[in-house]
Amino acid sequence: MRRIQSAINTSSPEYRKRYAHNVKLVEAFREKQHAARYIRPERDLARLARQGKMLPRERVEKLLDPGTPFLELSSLAGNMDYGGEAPGASIITGLGIVSGREVLIHADDSSVKGGAWYPLSAKKIIRCLDIALENHIPVIHLCDSAGGFLPLQSEVFPDRHMAGRIFRNQCQLSKLGIKQLSLVFGQCTAGGAYIPALSDYNVIVRGTGAVFLGGPPLVKAATGEEVGVEELGGADMHTSVSGTCDYPADTEDEAIAIGREIVAQWDRPKKWDCQREESVEPYYDPSELYGILPDDIKKGFDIREVIARIVDGSRFHEYQPNYGTTLICGFANIWGWKVGILGNNGVLFNDSALKGAHFMELCNQNKTPLVYLQNITGYMIGQEYERLGITKDGAKMIMAQSCSRVPKFTVMCNGSFGAGNYGMCGRAFDARFLFTWPNHQIGVMGGEQATNTLADVKIAQMRRNGEEIDEVLLDELRETTRAAYMEQLSAYYSTSQIWDDGILDPVDTRNALGMAITSALNAPLGDPGYGIFRF
Amino acid sequence: MTLKLKLFDTAHDLMLKQLRPALSVNIGGQDHSLIEQCGVGPERRIEIDGKQIFYRQARDGNTVYLHLEGRNWVVDFIDPRDAAQVEAAGSDAIRAPMPGAVISIEKEPGATVLRGETVLTIESMKLQTNLIAPRDGTLATVLKTVGETFEKGEVVAMMETDDA
Repeated sequence: MRRIQSAINTSSPEYRKRYAHNVKLVEAFREKQHAARYIRPERDLARLARQGKMLPRERVEKLLDPGTPFLELSSLAGNMDYGGEAPGASIITGLGIVSGREVLIHADDSSVKGGAWYPLSAKKIIRCLDIALENHIPVIHLCDSAGGFLPLQSEVFPDRHMAGRIFRNQCQLSKLGIKQLSLVFGQCTAGGAYIPALSDYNVIVRGTGAVFLGGPPLVKAATGEEVGVEELGGADMHTSVSGTCDYPADTEDEAIAIGREIVAQWDRPKKWDCQREESVEPYYDPSELYGILPDDIKKGFDIREVIARIVDGSRFHEYQPNYGTTLICGFANIWGWKVGILGNNGVLFNDSALKGAHFMELCNQNKTPLVYLQNITGYMIGQEYERLGITKDGAKMIMAQSCSRVPKFTVMCNGSFGAGNYGMCGRAFDARFLFTWPNHQIGVMGGEQATNTLADVKIAQMRRNGEEIDEVLLDELRETTRAAYMEQLSAYYSTSQIWDDGILDPVDTRNALGMAITSALNAPLGDPGYGIFRF
Repeated sequence: MTLKLKLFDTAHDLMLKQLRPALSVNIGGQDHSLIEQCGVGPERRIEIDGKQIFYRQARDGNTVYLHLEGRNWVVDFIDPRDAAQVEAAGSDAIRAPMPGAVISIEKEPGATVLRGETVLTIESMKLQTNLIAPRDGTLATVLKTVGETFEKGEVVAMMETDDA
């Protein structure tokens, strides 16, 4: 493999302009992330201190092996929902190392509304457990939740992918032999009680931990029975009478220590034999990505310059370098693992779509995981291209992508518009992990196009109704549509809705992908095969 | 497997016949055996056809500087893919990779351009793309004006020929 020859001039005015722009975006991201992680009302911090509880992030830090990386997922989930009252959707999830084993952590954030589950909290836990299911990674639950957020219960409780799915996924994990441990630091009431009950192992803290289907007030209302928390579902009752819990602990520190000891007993999943070489850092400095990414979503950049700042030694074997040149395909290594990379260098034409489909078939046969670097405005449109079968060629690409048996990973590097999102393994296509960069925008079409389309519809409507075309009204409409649409296009909206597994500082992408690929190899490869390719 | 090495300015083909247990190389129809041995410090030792040779080396990309038997030697590794690329980069035409419109012209005819420099910027499907100079040289003509549209593959600018 050859080193990519970068054409970037780091002293050019354009580079500097882009660099300044993107550094500002990353700083804003870091600021938001810091607030979501650490800024809490004094009242909540005082309550936790009064209860003798640690902050949820302290628990996570104490649980993890010292000096090991923790890849936090969806740290800005919910940032644009619930008036900003549920930072991180009140849940901390991430991939880390405990007692030398890769684990996923789900921790209720009791420093926000007592850890109550909002609709996005449930979605975030479910996503965490989906990752566990797809990649065969054990899960540690740190339980401390007040239960479903009652004012929004209709969006938390009943549907297929709402709270019940958490417990369904726990059962499926267990069936596959993927281990789960619960550390009960607070009350696990109603549905929440099933998290420790459905775990293989659980530890409960005396005095603060409790597990019951209905808490004391609900019991009194339902049957008139008066009973205290400890007798109803405390540590001693459950570990010595009911057998619902396994180990009592006097303090949170002790619970964490017992938990680490339990994990140390677990066997390690066997990874499949993905090709691997010795890992080397990229030859080109990843921080140059700031000067490569554009300061305007419409401006292009060569995705090879991005690849050069992510892969081992900046080395890349490009496949079909002269065919379908708007889709760059080729082999590289990340943390030593062999991967096939597909990255956009413009709109997808017939030849680019065919090349992409062919390349994915090669990777599937060769057992090479796929990495998609999205910067896509769509497939080419117009009479000539329809006659050439752009739709059916796009369909071939989507078929090859969707039926891929190797693990897939997606990074939203810039734009993701229209059907290009599908061909390039958007959220709906089960990338094992999907990360977003702060400059990313996503939507069925770009902001300007959507605004104009909606304005055209309005004008046609006015004409039909015999109304006079009111230009002032139209401008107002354009402005309000544009503002609303642009907000929904942003990476922050996307990550708020958990359409991704979190926003990354672009320089962290290599390590995030390295961790993601390593953990994904725990799950055996699926069976090869595709549906019908339309020729 | 054949390696092409350039010793000073003369190219030599080396046919690698065997890697293990000893490296066997055929140069100009003659076989040679090489056994790499441990050296002390920067001094390295190699056995060529039974003869011990001490040398020092420094690498810079595809170039290796050797010091042995009181002389300095410069050896370049010739990558056939680099050679092919130099030949392929000779095109004079700058073509549109997709249909679209010109939104700005960065270089006027007669301007000196470096390989990779933006000549003009086009927009297609909401995306701006820079069309770049295929090699160092002088820009001969720009065939489109700002706002003008074109088809895929159309020549939009030309480099001056024969000024390499």
